[in-house]
Amino acid sequence: MSTVTINTKINNRKYSLAVAPNTTLLHFLREELGLTGTKCGCEIGECGACTVLLNGEAVNSCLVLVPQIDGKEILTVEGLAKDGKLHPLQESFMDHDAVHCGFCTPGMLMSAKALLDKNPDPDEKEIRTAISGNLCRCTGYVQIVDAIKEVVK
Amino acid sequence: MKPFEYRAVHSVEEAVSVLAEYGSDARILAGGTDLLIELRKQNVKTPKVVIDISFIKELRGIESPNGTVMLQSLTTHSEIVNSKVVQQYASLLTGAASVIGSPQIRNKGTVGGNIMNAATCADTVPPLIALGAKITLKSKTNSRQIDLSDLFIKPYQTKAKPEEILTEIQFPKLSSNVKSSFIKLGRRNALSISRLSVAAILTQDKNGKITDARIVPGAALPVWRRVTEAEILLIGKKPSKELFTAAGQKVSEVMISHTGRRWSTEYKEPVIATLVRRALEMCVGDLKDLKDLKDLKD
Repeated sequence: MSTVTINTKINNRKYSLAVAPNTTLLHFLREELGLTGTKCGCEIGECGACTVLLNGEAVNSCLVLVPQIDGKEILTVEGLAKDGKLHPLQESFMDHDAVHCGFCTPGMLMSAKALLDKNPDPDEKEIRTAISGNLCRCTGYVQIVDAIKEVVK
Repeated sequence: MKPFEYRAVHSVEEAVSVLAEYGSDARILAGGTDLLIELRKQNVKTPKVVIDISFIKELRGIESPNGTVMLQSLTTHSEIVNSKVVQQYASLLTGAASVIGSPQIRNKGTVGGNIMNAATCADTVPPLIALGAKITLKSKTNSRQIDLSDLFIKPYQTKAKPEEILTEIQFPKLSSNVKSSFIKLGRRNALSISRLSVAAILTQDKNGKITDARIVPGAALPVWRRVTEAEILLIGKKPSKELFTAAGQKVSEVMISHTGRRWSTEYKEPVIATLVRRALEMCVGDLKDLKDLKDLKD
């Protein structure tokens, strides 16, 4: 099996790489780039722990083949903080105790970021819809929704 | 994931040319929300080549020429949900696309993939069949348009040839006096797979009499179709709970005549009847939103 050359931008950094096509974006981020903030949960697109932004849209990175990001931009949870300062969503998650075990947190943050980038003033229903593809098995949804609401205010 | 050859194509012409070369040794990658899961399964034969059509720009978008709506096959479920054209002329399709998977799945999954994967739970298919959709299948040497309802052989199997790809889906616009609805029943609200669904379209004359009815259940029959046996019960009558209940019972009977009595029939028999009645009630405005139902027995 031959490799495929891709040009991509991940967390605002340009990459030109030869990749094995039978690799998911999730494994590529974690194993090749060491960006382990993106979590590997169900690997069948059900849990949302691996959510990243692909050209600004929330997607499950377990359902993207890495050559498919050629010419596209990826944002992972590692790309949220700027100049050593956490993103307002990250601050708010901490302030609202919206992190229990923490496994769903990166995916929740990315789904929330995708929502706020498109709709800066969402109501609660829109927030709940935006994170409907992210499971939290500690069931801390109330705090997570509160944390996102706080950033909207 | 086992190794396979990967070919990214950037035009329909290139896609059909590569497909002509590989035929049934190839799998087409569109949104990937079904294919990637399949590629990772251990007990499934890995294709020799995966043809990635996701970069083909000409296969994206929604247009509405001359009384029709045209969906390019790579249009995502999110794009359908947000489309003003679909909202205005085929609101039941908006409803169906909005309850597929999760936001992440809807951002990647495509209407063409939903059709060609041919899972009985595919949520866009019942509305599209109710709308009378036609699809265009292209190969290197041919292009043909067929009724979507003629595409399917059985679950996960279509009449499309290995060298063909689905390029567009076209259906007549619903006029503003025509009402439509889509109801899906899953095991939970978000990220659920349809256990049963119903797409319904109703037209009434000035006096309220029903002049046209289309009912297509999802995940109920081995192959999707309009249940004309139930539709004819409605024609020429005015909407009533009794009438819609009778139509629901007829759909239930038709379902059992196709599938026989199975382990799930005890559940599906009353449930499909109720879903049909509710879908029809939603068309005439007697039922706005399922969430408003106080008594689920109703």
